[in-house]
Amino acid sequence: MTTDGGNGTSTHPFEELVERSLDRRGFIKAGLIAGGTLSFPSLLAACGGGGGGEAGAPGAATVTSSPLNEIFGPGGEAAGAGMDFSDGMMLAITGQGSFFGKVMSRGAKLAAEQIAQAGGPNFKISIADHQSGLVPPAVTGVRRLITQNNIVTLQTSYGAPSEAIIPLIQQNKVLTFNGGGSSPGQLFKEYLWMTRMLFAYDPADGALAWLAENHPDVKKLAVLGTRENGVEAMEEKAPRIWPQLSGGTIVSKEFHEVGATNFSAQIARVRSAGADAVFTVSFGNDLGYMVKQFREANVDIPIMGIEYTDQACEIAGDLYDTYLFATDYYDTGNPNPFNRIFVETHNEKYGEDPEYYGSNYWEQAFVVWDLIRRVKEAGGDPESGEDLQNALEENPTFKSVYGGDASTVGEMAFDLEDHSISKPMGVFSVEGCKPKVLAPIKKVTKDDDPASALDV
Amino acid sequence: MSLQLFYQLLVSGVVIGSTYALLGVSFGVIYSTTRTFHLAHSVVYALAAYGAVVGVRSLDLPLAIAALLGLAVAVITGLVIEFIAYKPMRARDATVLAVFLVSLGLTIAAPNLLEIVFGPENRALPGFPIETIQVGTVTFTTLDVTSVIVSWLAIAGVLAFLARTKYGRAVNATRTNPQMAMAVGVPVQQVYLIVFAIGSVLAGIAALLFTMGGVANPTMGLTPVLIGFIAVFLGGIGSTLGAAFGGLALGLAMSLSGLWLTGDFALAVVFGFMFVLLIIRPQGLLGKATV
Repeated sequence: MTTDGGNGTSTHPFEELVERSLDRRGFIKAGLIAGGTLSFPSLLAACGGGGGGEAGAPGAATVTSSPLNEIFGPGGEAAGAGMDFSDGMMLAITGQGSFFGKVMSRGAKLAAEQIAQAGGPNFKISIADHQSGLVPPAVTGVRRLITQNNIVTLQTSYGAPSEAIIPLIQQNKVLTFNGGGSSPGQLFKEYLWMTRMLFAYDPADGALAWLAENHPDVKKLAVLGTRENGVEAMEEKAPRIWPQLSGGTIVSKEFHEVGATNFSAQIARVRSAGADAVFTVSFGNDLGYMVKQFREANVDIPIMGIEYTDQACEIAGDLYDTYLFATDYYDTGNPNPFNRIFVETHNEKYGEDPEYYGSNYWEQAFVVWDLIRRVKEAGGDPESGEDLQNALEENPTFKSVYGGDASTVGEMAFDLEDHSISKPMGVFSVEGCKPKVLAPIKKVTKDDDPASALDV
Repeated sequence: MSLQLFYQLLVSGVVIGSTYALLGVSFGVIYSTTRTFHLAHSVVYALAAYGAVVGVRSLDLPLAIAALLGLAVAVITGLVIEFIAYKPMRARDATVLAVFLVSLGLTIAAPNLLEIVFGPENRALPGFPIETIQVGTVTFTTLDVTSVIVSWLAIAGVLAFLARTKYGRAVNATRTNPQMAMAVGVPVQQVYLIVFAIGSVLAGIAALLFTMGGVANPTMGLTPVLIGFIAVFLGGIGSTLGAAFGGLALGLAMSLSGLWLTGDFALAVVFGFMFVLLIIRPQGLLGKATV
């Protein structure tokens, strides 16, 4: 656990000014309060909410058995048993996105326990907090993870913080995975690999193709989002493909700040533009407020997004049943044996079904375990990020909780050129805060007919 | 520019501005009387919402009773902060900066504590019947109407209290010159508690109105308090009516900027507006110029 507390003695000019202007007791009180509160994010990370600091499974030098051994093979020395493996996570532990940090860390910690039980290494997970997307704490946090915790791998999240740490992870050869805020700016980067489809960009073709096919009367499209994530889908892809798909036009392009709770201006502008539908790349709570307020404003046009969370549904309530979305959505009901283990153990430990982002970070830990096994088999150093990446590049296919069927574990494959991933995607509706698949879709390239995104 | 768009943004601006007016008065009545930069007002705001949520969802109380519970939590929180943090510091002649640091510390700590206790998940406050009202092309909801009415009634109540009651006159005296007020027998410490209670109730009302249409979450308090702070300085420190009009002006500016700009420029408009106004009129809209 990292603490950065005030100590009552400092040479910083600001603190000298404070010291002179206070009596000793008042200063100590203020310093303790300020120092204590500055350490609260780390305290939170160390407590149940984020679970930061060093939190790994108990030491597991002995080989045990687990249903996971039927999927991954036996445990033991060849699987990394008895080895302490330093894994880092960079998450939103505080701030508006702290829900994401919670579910992501839950997934990784559950995986760490299960890997140890299955005769794998002892994952020592250390967490840095980017405070819901801020770059300076992201860089500082990852630097600390590298220098103090000697992490070999990193599970990152959000777009801007992940892009900011690229030089650090490359310089230190930390094999890094992003199962949250993937973006085009993170592609083609050594040591950085996406474990989810590109946020907004990859599902956009299928989303808009489905909209054009199922709502042929929709011609005038409004696009709505933030300047933080999914901007390429809004500014480049939607204007390019919508006319091809529908013969229509983009009539309104609206931005809002992340964390917005009032969309009255955007809704008024969309309505004034006469839009027939909305395509939004917003995320998190913003979606819940947006959909709710659109419907409360009697704007009943289709709203197609690229994300679903229970948190947004909590905000919009029944009105979220009118929302459509397209993404690489994780299905808790997938009978894939790997997924069944995940869902059952997640329910045992946390008392609820896993969430989409939690599934990606659970999966990622097993990707790392798989790589450790491969490197050991090849006689390499499993605590070398370079060796792990080489093993990934030799065989980019890994077990997945996506896809598969009742008797087959799903698989996902990294693209060795751009470091993206291919996972099943779909268009979904929402019923009672439960996504319901309407149609599968696929990723297409710029040269493909965007309508072919529906040809799965 | 379409008239339809203008009317809708105007109505939305009045709705948002009414809530901002309430926040401005809630922050301003405390600041102008005690000169305390009470950033920890965000804690009061958030706890009011959580109090009501717990009342409805855990204690199965009717919404109205749960709302009163939320307001009670707000008042208690505000008074506790004044009693254990600010009052001892004032007694030791702590500077404004030192008090601000303490307030800032509480503002940072509280969301984290709320997250530990309640978790980061959103908590809806069900029970208010939200229906859409459409007048021509303009739409608003029953909650919007309620927010406007309740906000201005609360503000009017505070103005009446300050103008027509003994304690209100004591607040005005303390606000004008605390030393002189003390010299003539005004119980300044009691006055401070009164304004913290008033400010906390108003913040609690604003929190409840927001949560009934949204959710409670640990980080919900800071933005509203910052808006309240801006409203106070826009309207003029020392003027309760000024803080109210400052908030209304803010809401209208943010909403009407949508005639020309996309929504992500709203905050830039707010700060730009404040910048220009304070250069032209440093005392704020209704503040008195210092000689």
